Amino acid sequence: MLKISTLLSFALLLSGNIYAQSADSLLKSMTDTAKIKVLNPTFKSTRIVLSQSTETQKKHDLDMRIRHHFGDIGGEFGSAHTLYGLDVASDLFIGFDYGITDKLTISIGRSKHDELYNGFLKYKLLEQGGGKYGNIPINVTLLAQMGWIAREPFTTTEFPTYANRFTYFLQPIFSRKITQRISLQVAPSVLLRKNTTEAQDPESLISIGFAGRVKLTKRLSFVADYTLVNGINRPIDLVQKFYNPLGVGLEIETGGHVFSLNFMNSEYISENSFIPDTKKSWKHGGVRFGFTISRNFTLFKSKDKDLQSKIY
Amino acid sequence: MTNKKQIVVILFAAFLIMLCISVSAQSFTSGNVKTSFFSSTPIEDIKASSSKTSAVLISKTGEFAFQVPVKSFEFEKKLMQEHFNENYLESDKYPTAGFKGSIDPNINWTKDGEYNIVAKGTLTVHGVTKPRNIPAKIIIKNGTATITSSFDVACVDHNIEIPTLVFTKIAKVISVKINGTLTQKP
Repeated sequence: MLKISTLLSFALLLSGNIYAQSADSLLKSMTDTAKIKVLNPTFKSTRIVLSQSTETQKKHDLDMRIRHHFGDIGGEFGSAHTLYGLDVASDLFIGFDYGITDKLTISIGRSKHDELYNGFLKYKLLEQGGGKYGNIPINVTLLAQMGWIAREPFTTTEFPTYANRFTYFLQPIFSRKITQRISLQVAPSVLLRKNTTEAQDPESLISIGFAGRVKLTKRLSFVADYTLVNGINRPIDLVQKFYNPLGVGLEIETGGHVFSLNFMNSEYISENSFIPDTKKSWKHGGVRFGFTISRNFTLFKSKDKDLQSKIY
Repeated sequence: MTNKKQIVVILFAAFLIMLCISVSAQSFTSGNVKTSFFSSTPIEDIKASSSKTSAVLISKTGEFAFQVPVKSFEFEKKLMQEHFNENYLESDKYPTAGFKGSIDPNINWTKDGEYNIVAKGTLTVHGVTKPRNIPAKIIIKNGTATITSSFDVACVDHNIEIPTLVFTKIAKVISVKINGTLTQKP
């Protein structure tokens, strides 16, 4: 009799079990996570320190970006006489990036150096975790930027034709979010220009950029980028000594704003200037402080009442 | 009866019971229940919603469960959505949020009408499970069950940190609303 009761209770338990599973499995079978769009920001911002990241603007979002590079911290132009470079503005930049779609960004900006106006198109070709099966391993973004030097020529021969004022920067950017905290990026590029310092300095300047992010907390990251430009197709023994740009910084995100506090040897901000023209080195006090303030505006409000946010 | 026979009979009975339960375990389900939430502070009101919530009601036991993929919540500002996923709910680590419990006391699912019920169970948000009693209204009409429920979720209960910098923009207690019609599934 004992046997029968144990068997019965076992049978009941079994049936109960199967029953409980059905509620769970029903729910599981209904929740299809594969259909949900990937959201995998590899970088917080569309820029790292000096260079562009693979991120693009969200659709209909406008980003206003103000960047500042101060003067040399040490050396001939630095030290206490310029409050370690803070008296000097080696370059200033204001720019607007607008997301036409989630993948395509259009931008316009202006730098103090060379009175350079720049415009770029940036297109996110592939997204990590995207695709039909969600198995794309990397992000790929294409960048095409045009620069226009608007300043008066320093010498009458500086711009023999008007075309000498234009530079074109082309860059495919590859990145991968390795872990939740670490992202890495590689970006080969070519800068097409007419004006060079001497005959050996190539008009089509090839460079390769390396960048990375380490998230320290959810909202604070350490970022760095390095661009190898001297010694690829530009000889390193030019009359004018050029250096490879290296920037390190802290990136702080506070909702709609991103603040970056950076140190770099490059005087200039736009790719069309800092890649060919970095004349300062991290040695000999050529490093400087710089900051970026980025503010995002959502231009078109949703018509869905359940989503409408309100700022008082 | 020999021992063997007894066992066979019992096993057969158990099988029958199982079969009975699975057949009679009538359930109401829906894959597009709407979940919306609302955060209100004197500075900013934030709303978000998802219509990809799955809900299951099992009439026999009054079992009630719903689950929403965190990434399916849509915000007016996409950047806000990104921050919600990355900074607050950490949806890569905790992809779903939901409730599992049962309606106590159970109601008569075959009779049309309006029932105010309380579901007792556990609510899981941001990987933290808390015992909760969630009030809801169920309207049964022509074999469908329409459920509406609203309840509060305190961020601190689920280890959702709000940094001091954005303290004034995000409420400490978020109100959540669930709304949808479940259809019968034999």
